Amino acid sequence: MLKTIGDWNYYELLSVERTASQDEIWEAYQAALATFKDGSLALYGLVSEAERGAVLERVQEAFQTLRDPDKRKEYDLALLRHAPYVPPKAPFRRSAGRLEIEEAPPRRSFWARLKRLFVKNP
Amino acid sequence: MEKRIWAVGGGKGGTGKSFVAANLGLHLASLDRDVVLLDADLGAPNLQTLLGIKPAHPDLGDFLTGTLPTLEAAALPTPFPNLRLVKGSENILFIANINHYRKLRLLRQVRQLETSNVILDLGTGSSYNTLDFFLSANPGLVVTTPEPTSIENTYLFLKSCIMRVLKLYMDHYKIRDLHQKLLDQIEKNSQSLYSFFKNLMETDRSYGTILYRALRTFRPCLVMNKARGEEDARLGRSVADVARKYLLIDIKYLGAVPYDEDVPGSLRALRPYYPDHRNSAAAKAIRQMSEELAYSIEFTLRTPPEIRLPNT
Repeated sequence: MLKTIGDWNYYELLSVERTASQDEIWEAYQAALATFKDGSLALYGLVSEAERGAVLERVQEAFQTLRDPDKRKEYDLALLRHAPYVPPKAPFRRSAGRLEIEEAPPRRSFWARLKRLFVKNP
Repeated sequence: MEKRIWAVGGGKGGTGKSFVAANLGLHLASLDRDVVLLDADLGAPNLQTLLGIKPAHPDLGDFLTGTLPTLEAAALPTPFPNLRLVKGSENILFIANINHYRKLRLLRQVRQLETSNVILDLGTGSSYNTLDFFLSANPGLVVTTPEPTSIENTYLFLKSCIMRVLKLYMDHYKIRDLHQKLLDQIEKNSQSLYSFFKNLMETDRSYGTILYRALRTFRPCLVMNKARGEEDARLGRSVADVARKYLLIDIKYLGAVPYDEDVPGSLRALRPYYPDHRNSAAAKAIRQMSEELAYSIEFTLRTPPEIRLPNT
């Protein structure tokens, strides 16, 4: 019933139905960007600059999740379970226009893994 | 007789409240609906000028001073079929500061007018008189323009309405100490309403629920007037969206009325705008809005609670 900005789910944030199509989500995203853009008249006298930045960040996060069918399905399931959504940790992330390899554990060879199963302190 | 009381208000002057009210009335009257336009801008009445009617007695002041027994007697026919007008008073110093008793008498008489539509053209600002007129109506239209000053005052007007609704309920339930608490919090930040309700729900859930429901009964409509393009129309949608999210109210965005160079010309010629410019974009926008509201079952079923208009 009562929700602060941090509690709004992605659908509430973009003001769309849970059954919204990709086109509707795109339109809502554009509208939200126009509302929370830097120097937006719609926020004049009501919302501080810091708050505006935080909401804009969440709007972008919401769009990134809802535009991807797999991520959206996972998010919907998380909403149904009333569980907080934790984005999956991707092996790669896009940063400043190039792909970077995240810190991943070194890949062990087959024999090393087999040895680990039978030897207690390899 | 089913009666609908419309109110056209807003925080800032010059946004076009009277223009919207007058043209709304003219359009509804042209649909064979019985309409009474009431100039409730007590401090600066000029609705008659927008309709091209010269000031004359009787007017609202004659009713408020007791010269006329009923408001019905002050509703005079106009050159437009189905449209009557209660003119604003020339006795402005007296009228602009009417006391609580006279205000309640006026509100009661508005409800008793023999017509199916009463349109209240409200004044600028957030005085108790203006807010009470606005809250006693359904639908209530908030008129704004795409300027920072106007948007700032629109939020102030909406906040004042919210405070007034909550205060009326707090007074009714004898929980007046909460009002000061709310006043202290409301100035802090945009999320203050949320934190007020959150604290209240934690301390007293029953009062919290009552007040939250009261807040949700306040459902104004927003009109973006003097829009000079698609971007201004979108701005109206954004303002409504922000008000929904930050002020926790169920506000409906009715649409934008395009800016029209012919409006000042009509005013100078002392001619009403709507009959002469039926095919203009602004007239079409007003037509669409009034029909959306007039035929909306939502507003037929929704009557403001009695507490908004106390009889004692």
